[in-house]
Amino acid sequence: MNPQGLQVTTPTDTTIVLTRTFNAPRRLVWEAMTTPDKMRRWMLPPPGWTIAVCECDARVAGTLRLVWHGAEAGQSMALHGVFTEAITHERMTHTEVMLLRTGEPIGSQVETHEFSDKGGVTTMRITQVYVSKEVRDCAVASGACPGMEEGFKQLDELLAQSV
Amino acid sequence: MVLDRSSRLDLVFHALAHPARRAIIRQLSGGERNLSELASPLKMTFPAATKHVRVLERARLVRRRIAGREHLCRLHAGPLKEATLWTEQFRKNWEARFEALDALLEEMKTEERTRARCR
Repeated sequence: MNPQGLQVTTPTDTTIVLTRTFNAPRRLVWEAMTTPDKMRRWMLPPPGWTIAVCECDARVAGTLRLVWHGAEAGQSMALHGVFTEAITHERMTHTEVMLLRTGEPIGSQVETHEFSDKGGVTTMRITQVYVSKEVRDCAVASGACPGMEEGFKQLDELLAQSV
Repeated sequence: MVLDRSSRLDLVFHALAHPARRAIIRQLSGGERNLSELASPLKMTFPAATKHVRVLERARLVRRRIAGREHLCRLHAGPLKEATLWTEQFRKNWEARFEALDALLEEMKTEERTRARCR
């Protein structure tokens, strides 16, 4: 069976669900997703960026820490998270905050990964929960800033009314 | 003022972090507005609104021109695009990452089979 491509759905106002299958037992998928030297192999950074730090301790209260460096001096982005749930090979939940070089947060979410397998094929379901519909829409639109997408929609409605 | 690209990015993200400044950007996306037009829907004083506009100006998201007694502001979208590029690239990369993960998993399966045979 060929792995099924990435499916993205938005079942509620504040969530995004990503589903993907992998041609491997869930034990291996879990290992690839939680072991830092393996994470570095597939967590490709944006073009021109490198992974400077990659730490992952997939246990309750364990932390997740990623730092990326850009090609230009001083360019840096980070992701910090804490695991709130970890059932080995089955299910894990962690918080996630994206941080600027200055430490200022620019977005946060809670992410749950669920793994099930059948006949050596693993289905992974990632549920991302955002703080608001506004932020979730921004993540879906990928290119709109926090508040922008929703804002432009409101503006459109406002303009339509005032005509 | 000369700033490296990352500091400019910091200014833009900082500017966008405040709801009042996002509201100003929303208003300006409809066209040029003067300062009192920007201040009134925010239910804030004129000086408070002016302060927010200055933060947006520093991030080069807003440009201001003076016409008689009026200060007219307009949106400058260039820095906004730069700021969103990173997160955009990060998120759009998901499928590419999962393909890299597919390749890694194949390797891991092969390693396991090799180990099992050696035992």
